[in-house]
Amino acid sequence: MPSIVLAAAQVIVLLLGPIALVGVINRTKSVWVGRRGVPLLQLGYDLSRLLRKRPVYSGTTTALFRVAPYVALATALLTGLVVPLLAVRGPLSFPFDFVLVAYSWGLGRLFLMLGALDTGSAFEGMGASREAKYSALVEPAFFLALGALGAVTGSRSLAELLQFPVRTPADAFAIVAVVAALLVLLQVESARIPVDDPATHLELTMIHEVMVLDHSGPDLAAIQYAAGLKLLVGAGLIATLVNPVDAVSAPLLFGGTTLALILFIGIAVGTVESLMARFKLRALPQYTLGACVAALLALLANAWNAGGVR
Amino acid sequence: MGPIVMAAVSLLTGAVLAISLPGQRARSWSALVSQGVATLLVVYAVIPVLASGVAIEATWDWPYPIEGVRGRIDALSAFFLVWSVPMTFIGTVYAVGYLKPYLKHGRDAGWHLALLNMTSFAFVGVYAMQHALVFLLGWEIAAVAAWLLVIWDYPNQKIRFAGFNYLVSTHIGMFVLVAAFMILHSQSGSFDFAAFAPFLREPGQLRDVTFVLLVVAFGLKSAFFPFHTWLPRAHSAAPAHVSALMSGVIHKAGLFALLRFILLIGTPEAWMGWFLVAGSVLSAVMGALYTSTQRDLKRLLGYSSTENVGIVGIGLGVGVLGLAWHEPVLAMLGFTGGALHLLNHALFKCLLFYGAGAVYHVAHTVDIERLGGLARRMPSTAALFLIGGIAIAGLPPLNGFISEFVLYAGLLDGAVPAGIPRLLLTGVAAVLAFVGAVSALSIVRAFGVTFLGQRRDAKVHEAHEAPRLLLVPMTLHATGVVLLGIWPAAGLWIVGAVVRQLVATDVTAAAIPLPDVDAMVAPAALASLALAALVGVLLLLVRRAQHAGAAHVTWGCGYGAPSSRMQYSGTSFSLPFSALFEGVMPRLRRQSLPTHYFPADGHLSTHQVDAVERRMFQILGDGEQAVQQLRAKSPDVPRYAFGAGLVAVGLIVGLAMLAR
Repeated sequence: MPSIVLAAAQVIVLLLGPIALVGVINRTKSVWVGRRGVPLLQLGYDLSRLLRKRPVYSGTTTALFRVAPYVALATALLTGLVVPLLAVRGPLSFPFDFVLVAYSWGLGRLFLMLGALDTGSAFEGMGASREAKYSALVEPAFFLALGALGAVTGSRSLAELLQFPVRTPADAFAIVAVVAALLVLLQVESARIPVDDPATHLELTMIHEVMVLDHSGPDLAAIQYAAGLKLLVGAGLIATLVNPVDAVSAPLLFGGTTLALILFIGIAVGTVESLMARFKLRALPQYTLGACVAALLALLANAWNAGGVR
Repeated sequence: MGPIVMAAVSLLTGAVLAISLPGQRARSWSALVSQGVATLLVVYAVIPVLASGVAIEATWDWPYPIEGVRGRIDALSAFFLVWSVPMTFIGTVYAVGYLKPYLKHGRDAGWHLALLNMTSFAFVGVYAMQHALVFLLGWEIAAVAAWLLVIWDYPNQKIRFAGFNYLVSTHIGMFVLVAAFMILHSQSGSFDFAAFAPFLREPGQLRDVTFVLLVVAFGLKSAFFPFHTWLPRAHSAAPAHVSALMSGVIHKAGLFALLRFILLIGTPEAWMGWFLVAGSVLSAVMGALYTSTQRDLKRLLGYSSTENVGIVGIGLGVGVLGLAWHEPVLAMLGFTGGALHLLNHALFKCLLFYGAGAVYHVAHTVDIERLGGLARRMPSTAALFLIGGIAIAGLPPLNGFISEFVLYAGLLDGAVPAGIPRLLLTGVAAVLAFVGAVSALSIVRAFGVTFLGQRRDAKVHEAHEAPRLLLVPMTLHATGVVLLGIWPAAGLWIVGAVVRQLVATDVTAAAIPLPDVDAMVAPAALASLALAALVGVLLLLVRRAQHAGAAHVTWGCGYGAPSSRMQYSGTSFSLPFSALFEGVMPRLRRQSLPTHYFPADGHLSTHQVDAVERRMFQILGDGEQAVQQLRAKSPDVPRYAFGAGLVAVGLIVGLAMLAR
């Protein structure tokens, strides 16, 4: 498939994927509790409604507050072009692109946190503080997980890293551990249960949502869309990693499988949300540490494989 | 070599004029003009060296005991000179603006400015001379000048203490350095650096001891953990430009010296690299953790220096490992990342300290718990500080991202031997990610609490925008930060010559093609530039909607009478995180909580102390106590003292005889 077509297809997935993925998660949740649930494309309706609304700004805020949502959106869009969602290679693939992914997310987060502090609200300060804390705790897991994938082959870009060959039991173990670590990362980064509850109505228990209390109109739409994009990108990472289809001989099948796996991850996330309550905030550091340990185990397994650790 | 000598002469002349001319204006101008001239001369002299890598050299005869002094500017010297001297000049411009209010109260800035000239002069001595004694002389001039600069506000006892603390610490480092130089002199019979090389190239126990001594001495200079205790005190006590220059420029001399000796060693052993990496990781993590809890803005930035020299040290350690393993690709990536981060740190750390100084200038405090909402009263300072903040967190599209990107490339490169080394260095990459995220937390906290929200303390002076003399140096630094971020080739060019010099010490390197770091970094830089453009486009798209936005108050969850005291404070922001690391970051708590049915007023104060310093003072206190107890027991008789002296003399003579 020519790369330009592929890039165009990925952009389409990026534009529509978040709406579908969030829809699938919500539908899964409503099926679990026996409701009919909101339409699959509810996020799309929400976004278009928000885009038409007039934003409201607190008199305390500065220009930073108005910039922050769009930095978050831009970083999410950019990482969506780096991470492979359809083929083995994202449209913007280059050596050590995962560093850009992690640090772009960091930039988006930094601006959201600053936007929260800009309002001078105690609640939003609290949200920013929590977001900073948990993202710092989970950040090493991402690098350990990708480092583990590269430990045997020495590959350097996401496109190569996610084509991790499974040949030995140690490889299989490593891939399971990496997927576990990335799933926790996905939950933390996109504020899902059991880390954070996107639907809670009590500000004191929120992490991500409480940071954006004061955003409204198109600004809020940008933030919600960016959150959906991050979810899609994270799910895309995992889906490409576990995709069993050979991308060289059957590229179309590979792309289709990846999309199906992304939706499956959506169902899995929704199922977890239906069956579990949110963890106590106290327990979250252990949970994120679990991700780091899983990634570390994967790294150890691969180092063992490479013949170093005996 | 001519321009360099002229620059030195210009600096000395400027220093003399700055303390002898009548009138503050003339004194300021003499310092500024002499430094400006020196900057031009130095840049003019070293640019060809950076471009070609060919050293310029000259020898002067000197009286005993120094004898021949060899001046030599190779790529390493040129790299350090090309930014140290100009940045000191920019700092002097800032100093003139910063000291202005003090002059109204009859203070004389002449001595202070002359000391800044001497600092710049010391750089020429340390960076350009290849003689151990001249090196020590320059080292000492820089140290004493820094001490005198720190205690500008000397009537304050706390500031004198901080200065004295610095003076003692830096001289402990000096003793270690002198010990190392004594070993080197005894082995080579010369004080010339080139003469040390044969001894340093031969593996041996004595060389290993020398290496450790040197690393400790230079580590103390650059404030690596756990030799950092003087740093937060000195940085919070000193005027902002002094903190900026100490943190960003002066203490980089330690890293210069480290690189100089790595060059002399030639082919280091792997343990040396691991030693550097381990010390640097410790430094980066502890520095980052302590940064997250400080409430004094300058103290916070001081701890972040410890963090950032750690990050630089990781790069240099990887480079040393690359030399030891004969993996030139790894050596190149490690040294490039380290050297680039060193330069970047000088750029953004000075910017941040200048920002903190601007806050102090207008609000008369840098206690973040008393500040807030400054962004609306000093928008330029806030914007410039934010640029420095994003850069220090290593985020795109600014220069910190580029150097961290290269560091990750080194740590995760396929050239790392498979097995345990790769395992360890991947772990280091994960630690670097953690450090990056923690420093993002710290900078969000520092910037958010200081500049955003609402003013927390009505007693704090009503702030206004900082004067232009303070903003211009900040703008210059911010320009550098942005430029090296979006055009990394410029930064890589500056470090290119020194990296090639370091990699070339490995003779096997010539056979292996080196990676094109420019090409490797370019996509990341382009992508982050695209990111900035994307933000611009999105903002343009919503411009009309945002413009039509309605004004209201911050949502207070229905509470009708919010006050600015209800905002999240710096402590409340970092406590959930720092509480996880209480084992290494002791938090003292003094409280008297209200009790009973009719409670009286209570109070609570927490104090984040430095674990290393606390332990150090504890040991010193215990030691003093033990000596006093001993003294109380032993009779105070001159005979005993005489006897003890005799034993000591005998011991020294015996050792001297044995050493022969």
